[in-house]
Parts: sequence; C-alpha cells; structure tokens
Amino acid sequence: MAVIRWAALRRQAGDPGVLVVFLAAAAILAIFVLYPTLRVLIYPTAADYLRIPTESRWIQAARNSLLMMVISTVSATLAGLIFAFAVTRPDVPGRRFFRGVAALPLFAPPFMVAFAYILMFGRQGLITRTMLGMDANIFGWHGLWLVQTVAFFPLAMLIIIGVLEAVNPSLEHAARNLGADEWTVVRTVSLALARPGIAGAMLVVAISVLADFGNAVVIAGSLPLLATEAWFRMEGMADLKGAALVVAMLIVPTTVLFLLERYWVSRRAYVTVTGRGGRIERPPTHPALKWGAFAFCVLMSVMIFLVYFGVVAGAFTTVWGRDWSLTWAHWRLASDRIGTLWTSVKIGALAGVITGVVSVVVAFLTSRALPLRQVLDFFAVLPGALPGVFVGVGFVLAFNRPPLELVGTVWILAIALAFWHLPMGYQAAAARLKQVERSIEEAATNLGASGLRVLLDIYLPLLRAAFAGAFTVSFIRAVTNVSIVVFLVTPGNIVATFAILNMIGNNVWGAAAALTTMLLVITFISVGLAGATVGRAGRSMPMA
Amino acid sequence: MRPHVHLRNVTKRLGGVVAVDDVSLEVPEGNFTTLLGPSGCGKTTTLRMIAGFYHPDAGDIFVRDLRVTDVPAHRRNTAMVFQEYALFPHMTVRENIGYGLRMRGVETAEARRRIETVVTLVGLAGQEDKFPLHLSGGQQQRVALARALVVEPEVLLLDEPLSNLDAKLRVRVRTEIRALQQALGKTTIYVTHDQEEALSISDRIAVMNHGRIVQIGPPREIYYRPADRFVADFVGLANFAPVEIVGPGMVRLGDVTFPVQGSMARGQALLVLRPETIGLTEHVPAGAGRPVLRGRVKTSAFLGTLARYWVDVLGAEWIVDQPAPGDRMFDGDVFLTLAPDRTHVLPDRPADT
Repeated sequence: MAVIRWAALRRQAGDPGVLVVFLAAAAILAIFVLYPTLRVLIYPTAADYLRIPTESRWIQAARNSLLMMVISTVSATLAGLIFAFAVTRPDVPGRRFFRGVAALPLFAPPFMVAFAYILMFGRQGLITRTMLGMDANIFGWHGLWLVQTVAFFPLAMLIIIGVLEAVNPSLEHAARNLGADEWTVVRTVSLALARPGIAGAMLVVAISVLADFGNAVVIAGSLPLLATEAWFRMEGMADLKGAALVVAMLIVPTTVLFLLERYWVSRRAYVTVTGRGGRIERPPTHPALKWGAFAFCVLMSVMIFLVYFGVVAGAFTTVWGRDWSLTWAHWRLASDRIGTLWTSVKIGALAGVITGVVSVVVAFLTSRALPLRQVLDFFAVLPGALPGVFVGVGFVLAFNRPPLELVGTVWILAIALAFWHLPMGYQAAAARLKQVERSIEEAATNLGASGLRVLLDIYLPLLRAAFAGAFTVSFIRAVTNVSIVVFLVTPGNIVATFAILNMIGNNVWGAAAALTTMLLVITFISVGLAGATVGRAGRSMPMA
Repeated sequence: MRPHVHLRNVTKRLGGVVAVDDVSLEVPEGNFTTLLGPSGCGKTTTLRMIAGFYHPDAGDIFVRDLRVTDVPAHRRNTAMVFQEYALFPHMTVRENIGYGLRMRGVETAEARRRIETVVTLVGLAGQEDKFPLHLSGGQQQRVALARALVVEPEVLLLDEPLSNLDAKLRVRVRTEIRALQQALGKTTIYVTHDQEEALSISDRIAVMNHGRIVQIGPPREIYYRPADRFVADFVGLANFAPVEIVGPGMVRLGDVTFPVQGSMARGQALLVLRPETIGLTEHVPAGAGRPVLRGRVKTSAFLGTLARYWVDVLGAEWIVDQPAPGDRMFDGDVFLTLAPDRTHVLPDRPADT
C-alpha cells in the first residue's frame, strides 16, 4: 500500500524536484505552525487544565473578553456596514475619499487608536479636558469599546464592500422595475444578498477583538482580559504555565469563530451573486439614506482623523494637557531609540520575504493534485485562528531550548510574525493561481518543462504581484505588531512598538508619539513603494 | 508501413466515468486525422493521453514503435495547440515561441533562426516583441501554432484550436492550417466537434461517441457511407427512411423500388438521404431512371445559399435543401427525386444516439 501511494505521489508530483519542495514545505509548516501550537496546548498538564475553573481572575477575564467581543463586534460591524453601503453607492458624495480614509486604521500599529484617544478623550484629553472641561476617565471597558469600534470597523467595511459590489446592479433595477421603492430595494435585495458577507465580517471582527492586545494593554486599565492576562502572567510573574493556560482558553472561541467563517459562511458568501451582464449604474439612493450614510461617514472620518492628529500633535506638544507650546524635544528623545526602528524594519523585511516565499510556494503546491495537499492547506490557514499572544507564547515554549533555540535572536521574531501572516498571503496567492488557466501550465509541460520549471517559469512570474502584496502586508503588520513581539523581544533586539508601549506605560507620551509618527512614516512609505512596484509589475505583465 | 502514432486498446476512466473505452487508432506518417464527436465523447481525453496529460488505465500508446505510455508529458515530443491558446501572458511572442526550444537546450543562434522561420511561416513577422494580450484572437492563435511547430514535434496535436475565433476567421485559419500541414508533411491529430471543419480539413476522420471510435475513414466515406445512424446524424443533416430490401442491392420505399449502396441483408433497413441530394419539382420530373416520391411542403426557410424545406413524405418529415433559390419557394404538393448513388442503407436497428 505504502509503495503504491509513493508511486502515485511520484507521478502526480511530476518530477522529484516538486516532491522535494513539497516535503520541505510540509516540514517547515510542521515546525513553525503546528509544533508551537501543540507546544502551548500540551505544556500544561491535565491537572493544570482542571484548575482553570478555580482561577476566578481567569474566569473573569474570559467573561470580559467575550463581553467585549459581543459589543465591539456589533458596533464595528454596524459601522462597517453603513460605511460600506455609503461608499458603494455611486451617488454618495465623497465616497472615494471616505473609502481611503477608512483604510487608514489598517496601517496603524494596533495600540495607536487607544493611545490617540487617551490624548483626545482621557483625563488630560484635548477634547474632554481642555475643550469641554470634563474630568473623563477613558480607561476601562467603555474606552476599549470605542477604540475597538474605530480600530476594527474598516475590517468589516472591506469585507462588506466586497459583497455589496458583487451584487449585480441589474438585480436592483429589476426590483425597482417590479414595483419596490428605494428603501425596499436596499432592504430586500442589496442588504439581503450581502447577509453572508455581513456574517463573515462579524466573525472576522470578533476574532480580531478577542485577540486585540495592543489596544487592550493601553486602555483597558484594570479590566482583566484574556489577551493581556497572558502577558501579565509571563511578564509579571514569569508564569509560563499560566500564560499557556490563558492563551489556550483564548483559542477556544477564536477557533470556533474561525471554523464558522471558513467552512460555513464563506461557502455561502457568493452563491447568490451572479457576475453576468454588463456593469450598469446602480439606481439612485433614497435621499434620507444617502445623507444619513454621508453624515455617518463624516463622523467616522473625524474619529479616524483624530487618531492621526492626536499622535502627530502629541509628538510636538511640550506637555500634553498642560503646556500646549510646540517643541522638538520629544523627537530628540525618540531618536535615542531610533535603533529600535531599524530592528523593526529588519525584522519586518525578513518576515515579509518569508511570508511571500512560503505563501507562493505553498499555494503552488496545494494547487497540484498531490495527496495530503489539504493538510498543507490547513497548516497554511491555521495561524488565522490563532491570536498573536498565542503565537507569542507558542514560539517562546517551542524555541527556547535546543534543537532549535531561537529565543534572543531576530529570527524568532521574523519567523513568528511571518508565519502568523501566512494565511493572508497564502490565500491571496491561491486565489491568483486559480485565475491562471490550467492549460497555461500544460502548455509549458507540453513544450518540455518539468514540474519545477513550471513553478519557476510560469507561476513565480505570474504570482509576482501576489508576492509583493504578501510581502507588504506582512512587513507592515510585522513592524507594527505588539501582541507577538512582547513575548519574544529580548534586550538585544528591542523593536519600536515595544519601546513605544513602554513609553506609554511610563507616561512618556511625547516621545511615544514621536516614535509612533516615525513608524507611521515608514509604514506609509512602504505602502507607496509596494503600490508603485505592483503597478509596474502589472504594466509589464499584461494578464488575459 | 508502420503507423507513426499508434493507440492500442486504450481505456481511461475519469471521475468514475469511462471517458475513453478500448480505443485503437493508427495514424500514418504525414496524415491529418481528426477526432470528431459531441462533447463528452472522449476525443479530447484521447488527445490528452497522446500528449501525456493523462495516463491510460489500460492499453498502450506508441510513437514510431516507441512505447510512450509511461513517458511523462514534458519528455514527449507531441506539441499541442490548446483551445484557449494557453499563451504565457508574461512572455512576449518571441519568448512564447522560444520556450520549447529553451527547454530543449537549443543554442541561442539556432533558436533565433528557427523562431524567425516559424514566425514568417505563420505570418507574425513584426509582432515578436508584443505581449499576447496585445494581439488579436487570430494572432494569438498563430502564436500558439508557431510555438508548437517550432519544436519540430513528432506529431502535432490540436485541441479545438478554432473554437475561439469568429466564423469567418475560422474558415480562413483552417485552410491555412491545412496548407501548412501539407507543406510540412507533419503528422497531425486534430480534435473538433464541428463536422464541417472536420470534413474540410482532414485526411481521415475518426467519429467518436461514448468513448469509442464509431467509424474511421476519409471525409467522403464518413459523409456518404456512415457506419450507423449516429454518424449519419452527427455528420451533416440526414433523413432516415425505413425501407424493405427486396433483392440484392434493391430496396422498396413506398411504392418505388431502386438500387442503393450499403450493407444488405434481407428484411428491414434504414435509408440515409442527405437533404441536398433530393431534387424538388412542382410537376412530375421529365426523364426516367430516378425514383420519384410525392410529398407536401409543410414549411420552408430561406437560408441564402439554399432554401430548406420540411416536407411530409410517406408519413414522415424530411428535410430537403435546394441550392441557389430564386424568388419563388415551393409550396403545397411537390415531387421528390432521389439520387440512388448518393443514398446509403443501414441495417435497421433502434437509434443509438
């Protein structure tokens, strides 16, 4: 039996080269995805697991995490839905502008919204104290709710835009033609067809809220949450076992949500959508809907603007809340820590390359009719279910001892971040591959190309844009990450986000703001570069 | 002479269905053979097994006495032109055409010379540095053909190469392909579901149905002497009339008796009459010797090059085509004159289509 399987594998792989790559990819995924995951889960003993119900602080943290998940998910998805509706109607003024603005939080470090809102709405807040004279306390669940809503609604928006845009305008015209008024059309056609997308958006946002470490650690105050509790265990008490137990608790809901999204919602997502027929304009939007949506977009845009304004203003203000004069002092302080920024960029670049290469290669392999390819596919999407803090704890536990002792190197950070972002890059590459007609590969084979040559000559060039996309997103997320970084930094390789987090914790707001601003500049430069690169690749590589 | 390409009892199952069922085929050197049949008949699967994309479940494939059944696709010299062309979108015309040469390690100067020759041959001179996307459908088709020809394959495989072209271009390109094939003397296997294309381009046609070759022969033979009702029906239009065999080579249809060609056994048989072989007149035609039947025009259509009539004859509906129709169409009662030398008799059995 084994012999037959092996022969079949050989034939399907086409040539030994592909087989070697396949085995190498499987081994790498097993080491850097599966092994850390299992390490976390088996590190505590059964008795440790049984102890969980008696740890009242953890039960409290779990309850709080789930509560935050529910309220933040509902508000962020609702905001995302209204925003998505507005920017997909051709007659809402400023739709392109709003769409661009709403994408901004996606490029920000995950603690930035919280940090900026402390500056705006906190005890020393520009708006709350200086302008309104209130004594506001933003720390706690209500502050976190506000922050998570603003931080995660763009995620919901992007997903919902996808389905709303896919709704064929002729369906809306057909409903009008059959006698439905504008409001009924929106309710019974546009939104009804978007329902699976909305459900998918809710699940994705819910996972992000549960896993949100950066905002929680900055603004949750004394509110116990699972994501931050893991770090407190490890950082404060060096309690590795406790950290492992807490993150193990955390992946129960995230895994359930992830599986629901992947195997239930996404299966339904495009069933009702027909892409046939020429693109025609959508029917006009009801004025009340149109201007209501517009007003909402303005409000959310202001909230996003405050995030960026707060941080940049903070970097130039002498003493926030007391002395509003401008100063360069924070920049001098921040430039003492500029080394951390270079470490971030170095790690980000490494992570980007690893994510890009692994994404493209694994997508190529899972597109083959190879046995076990579903296993490879599962490994490549699994990190999507894992919160950053889980990956952080996993890498500490897995690689703090021989044979692969990586703790203390930049590699552990780069690898952990790279594989955490693998699902995004992998899925983009796999989707791109599906668009490449099978016969193109067959033509290459037919002309004498072996399996590995097909990968090199056909798929790698065609996946250049997917690679660039995976690299960029992985890079940006890596340089802005905190949830994994806090577990893996060592004094020798402090990264910028970690330095900023410490500054915020020590109330050194000005320097924190300045360093954050520098980080933002790097992020936006890399987005711009990526846009230019992909654009150029797109021009020289016309696609059928 | 040994066949150039030889399929021996080849069977292939795909997804639980027998796609190709015990097919044997011999293609002589320089011959243009077309696999013709409806979709799902196994013609493309057969071609893909010759190219090596599928491994037969049973049987063997030989190219010049060499058993290639287990040779992987990229080591076979069976260049293929794909239905959707499958040009590499990220390579120029020159790079596309040169790809097979690169894989074969042909040295640069030699490769350049061969590319130049083939580019001129298919009429693409001046387009070498363009990307496929910037070419018209017809030009893309030529690139695909050039890319296959330049490697000087043992056998050229074409999988419905004209189906993405518009009707006029299709006719032009197919005459070009045929002329090129004859000039180069290249052994060619061509797959199509278009019977007119098959008739016009081939030395031989293998008509396939349900994974089997039903009949193989020159176009004329396929058209005028179909092996069974399926072939008669699939290739061109046909009227079927039950006849009684009354003597050697003699059949009776209604109240006329006449000689025909085809397999003869006593009893019932099926007469195949092509619409354009039947003459229509308003009055009893002058001159004897040909069988004449009475009929009644039910409906008619003007198709430009011909007029098509649906005529009630002996209780059945026949299609009758008359070339170069004038101003007046037939109507009501008519006389049908048959051409016994162009009719063909099949053993009468239930339709197997």
